[in-house]
Amino acid sequence: MTRRALTGRILAPLLLAVGLAVLSLPEVAGFVVRALGLQAGTPVPAGRLAWLARHHLALALAGFALAGGAGLALGILATRAAGASLRATLDTLAAAAQAAPPVVVVALALPVLGFGAPPILLALAAYGLMPVMRGTVGALATVPEEVRRAATALGLTPAQRLWRVELPLAAGPILEALRVVLVLAVATTAVGALAGAQTLGTPIVVGLQTQNTLALIQGAAAAAALAFLADAVWLGVMRVVGRVVGGRA
Amino acid sequence: MTLRAGWLPPATAGLAVAALMGLPFLTLAPNRLVPGAPVGCGLAGAAAGALAAAAALLLAVSARPWRAWAALAAALAAWGVLLAAAGQGAASLVAGQPPAARAALGSGAWLAGLALAGLAAEAARAALPRRGGLLAAAVLLGVTGLAARDGLLDAVSLAVEYRARAGAVTTALVQHLALSGASLLLALAVAVPLSLLRLRDGPAARLADGVLSGIQVVPALALFAALVAGLSGLLALAPALRGLGLSAIGPTPAVIGTAAYLALPLVRGFSAGLAAADPAVLDAARAIGLTPREVLLRVRLPLGAPVLIGALRVAAVQGIGLATLGGLVGAGGLGAVVFEGMAQFAQDLILLGALPVIGLALAVDAGLALLAGAAPERGEEPA
Repeated sequence: MTRRALTGRILAPLLLAVGLAVLSLPEVAGFVVRALGLQAGTPVPAGRLAWLARHHLALALAGFALAGGAGLALGILATRAAGASLRATLDTLAAAAQAAPPVVVVALALPVLGFGAPPILLALAAYGLMPVMRGTVGALATVPEEVRRAATALGLTPAQRLWRVELPLAAGPILEALRVVLVLAVATTAVGALAGAQTLGTPIVVGLQTQNTLALIQGAAAAAALAFLADAVWLGVMRVVGRVVGGRA
Repeated sequence: MTLRAGWLPPATAGLAVAALMGLPFLTLAPNRLVPGAPVGCGLAGAAAGALAAAAALLLAVSARPWRAWAALAAALAAWGVLLAAAGQGAASLVAGQPPAARAALGSGAWLAGLALAGLAAEAARAALPRRGGLLAAAVLLGVTGLAARDGLLDAVSLAVEYRARAGAVTTALVQHLALSGASLLLALAVAVPLSLLRLRDGPAARLADGVLSGIQVVPALALFAALVAGLSGLLALAPALRGLGLSAIGPTPAVIGTAAYLALPLVRGFSAGLAAADPAVLDAARAIGLTPREVLLRVRLPLGAPVLIGALRVAAVQGIGLATLGGLVGAGGLGAVVFEGMAQFAQDLILLGALPVIGLALAVDAGLALLAGAAPERGEEPA
């Protein structure tokens, strides 16, 4: 992607995030609900919404760190000579992990782990691990064999080769896989509300149960705004990293 | 002989033995809602562990075919012993207890069962590289089904819960299939014209692409909620639409919401499939006088078939998972069973909803994989 196209890619989610955040404010959402001709229930105050958003983000980032860290480590391991046998089972495991959607993982974990944050953290880790791992393996596989051999011939140790040659060359696709998983984590965290975690899904679930359309719209807009914001921020990070890595080459 | 991960069978067998030794095999609770007291697995567990170790050993020693079959037999025997131990153990635990008492499978039984299933799949794949996984799944399910039919598992808490809810679970399963099937059809109705549009790259195709990618970012819970709100607003403005069967709560938001997420993988996969044909082949087809329509139907579709079925597979599996959220917006399905179980904090009811979701997803995945695998194989056969 050219730098200019990437700027365009950042702008769209950023504008959507700002628009949806404005929509989630009690006054704006109340106006929309009345304009739709619906009964407006009790609004969620802006302060409470901001508190929920902070909680939501903290949970999503914790899940992302779990999935991203473990996925990167396993992906790197699978491409080293010692872990080569791991690769054959990756696809099977990836399919199996996709078969249990996050809602189902949260539900199954509830009786074992109890109410609160642990079920959604488990679901985020389980669901995000495979995309990161596969993305890392795929990205490292794009580094040409000649480059690898040249690095060894220059006298680099395997660790130096990984850090100074392979990872910088594979940074683009790895960051792209991490972006998908980050956005997935921020979006999926809303489901944690079903197991009693305090997230932006909470006003949605409560709104559905009590038929409070106002809280429902506020929660939905705020949750979507946060997901678009995460998308825009990560695209910005990718742009900066692209400049650093590109500048070095 | 395919190259296998040599450490996998010993690792799964080790996991099974560790789960049987270190984790509660069964739990006994005074009723279906409170957590139970853990109970170990005793001699039968040791036998299952020994059989699992034997299967791993047989797989590790040599690659001769009969050893793989022997390993598969040992893994299946371990599975049978596990089932018998669970059924008998549960029956003896609840004997003499009040009728409300429940003997549930503990974490050790679940983990050991998963490990044994993995071990059986590894053995079956060593014996039969192509269809091994399917063979193992069919035999394991068959053995379990026979044991359940003969009443061996009747005392296990999950079976007790199922007997109380059999009708509701069956209805939910049918609803779930209907919800995910309808979503897939709606997504197909959107995706097919869009992927044809995408063959000619234009502003309309790029706009549709941007919208569909944007939807993927929106949390599913938020989209379902927004659809409920939006549909209620729409129906308040135009009540005549209710006559068409639209409603703000129920299957309508669930089907539209699920289809919205399925459209992107379908469009991406279909356009890749349609573009899979070599340009030289397309030129040749045009040169022999095929019309654009014939090129599409007789060249692009057959050549892209594996990619097309692959996209359908991804979307169908996702659809089964997403339809679970339909339970929140009153659409019923297995999600409704799961959420009722969560509201009651009743583990068995959650399992009754969740296990069929996972089973359906795996079955659809395997079925469409078979279909995708069948296409190129047929071509390889001598005419």
